[in-house]
Amino acid sequence: MGSETDGLALGTRLRACEGVVDAVVTEDRVCVYFEPGAVPRDLDRALERGVGGASATPREVIVRVSYDGPDLALVASLSGLPAEDVIRLHAAGVYVVRMVGFLPGFAYLGGLEPRLVVARRSVPRPRVDAGSVAIAADYTAVYPFASPGGWNVIGHAQGAEMFRSDTGALLRLGDRVRFERVG
Amino acid sequence: MIVLPDAAWVEILAVRGLTTVQDAGRPGRMHEGVPPGGALVPELAARANLAVGNGHGAPLLEVFGGVTLAPRGRSLAVATEDGAARTLEADEALDVPSPRGLRVRYVAVAGGLAVPRVLGGRGTLLVAELGGHQGRALRRGDRIEVGSSALARERTSAPLALDTSRAVRVFQGPDIGRFEAGALDTLVSEPFTILPTSDRTGARLAGPVLARLDGDTGRSAPMVRGAIQVPASGAPIVLGPDHPTTGGYPVLAVVARADLGTLFARPVGAAVRFVLADPGDRTAAV
Repeated sequence: MGSETDGLALGTRLRACEGVVDAVVTEDRVCVYFEPGAVPRDLDRALERGVGGASATPREVIVRVSYDGPDLALVASLSGLPAEDVIRLHAAGVYVVRMVGFLPGFAYLGGLEPRLVVARRSVPRPRVDAGSVAIAADYTAVYPFASPGGWNVIGHAQGAEMFRSDTGALLRLGDRVRFERVG
Repeated sequence: MIVLPDAAWVEILAVRGLTTVQDAGRPGRMHEGVPPGGALVPELAARANLAVGNGHGAPLLEVFGGVTLAPRGRSLAVATEDGAARTLEADEALDVPSPRGLRVRYVAVAGGLAVPRVLGGRGTLLVAELGGHQGRALRRGDRIEVGSSALARERTSAPLALDTSRAVRVFQGPDIGRFEAGALDTLVSEPFTILPTSDRTGARLAGPVLARLDGDTGRSAPMVRGAIQVPASGAPIVLGPDHPTTGGYPVLAVVARADLGTLFARPVGAAVRFVLADPGDRTAAV
């Protein structure tokens, strides 16, 4: 797979093929969904142009964050950094949407500072609040909805609508995200 | 408010267990993280809908426990998944007891439930609090508008082709290399049972451990309804209509599309036997 914007273009091309219901592109896989009675044609051509084809222009989204998450101290301890440095490093990053999945509008954001890479919590929380800003492995993300979750919650997004029932997901593959510290 | 002479509502008088509005799903939004949705057992939902002259995917009630309801405004034709229709007079209560031998029941009303279309579907997606009736499970006192039945088709009685005791066909999954040799053999030779934690996101199964070779890589992949995911515990989950659209657990096998209904219709505690599908068997796909 090429860049995330190539992935966005590939997904868009695949979904435009006759008979394709949907196509989901993740970091190392592509899944095409179709009705079994009507196997789509033109998939090969859409896939051939997958890498290096026309790229969509990524958008940039700024999410305001209050860094008051329950796992901030845990991340500081695991990374050996003062909590203030965890916040500073996380807020300094420029992130890119590597994939969208798990929950409606949940974007896996790549580009996390290597010193902030920590494992998931060993026991997932039964409920992570909507708007939680969390990190796990080399991703960070904003939970669009309350859900069980194993990521380390370091803050809460202010006023961000990651998913709307009229327009769908805010973030698409390849979009850039920056976090702005508030409060 | 202008009340049309033929306006009708369904009022929920009592609910036992989860009851939501479902329909034929919300296709084409998986790339935004929106699961496909739709009735847990489309064959049963279609049977209820067809019995009152609706299209097979009209919005109706999906009932995990039991429900008591009554039409308001006028009389109303109703049917459950057994395919027998009856007419309820206005305010006449209908008690739909808990399913026997099934995981869910369906209650259709002529004209369908007139809930708003959200992102291409009318069904409830609980995790995102959207669709259905106010994006949530139904409770006592809810009133749901009924659509016009002026365009109703002829009522039909669909034959029930669901045999919930037969073996469920599976295809080998994309992550077979992440399992110990013999894991697929175990899946198709040993019996499993449906656990009470099963819901619309997936059927959780108890049975022999399906041993994996590696830990969780953290790399999520696209998922599909019917995928048999195996977490580190080795206990499989068969993904249902509201499954997370991506997941990191390896997929050992995928249930044949034609057999999803017979699997998800099974009640808690029921036995499941899997069998390898013939890759050339076109009846497994449709």
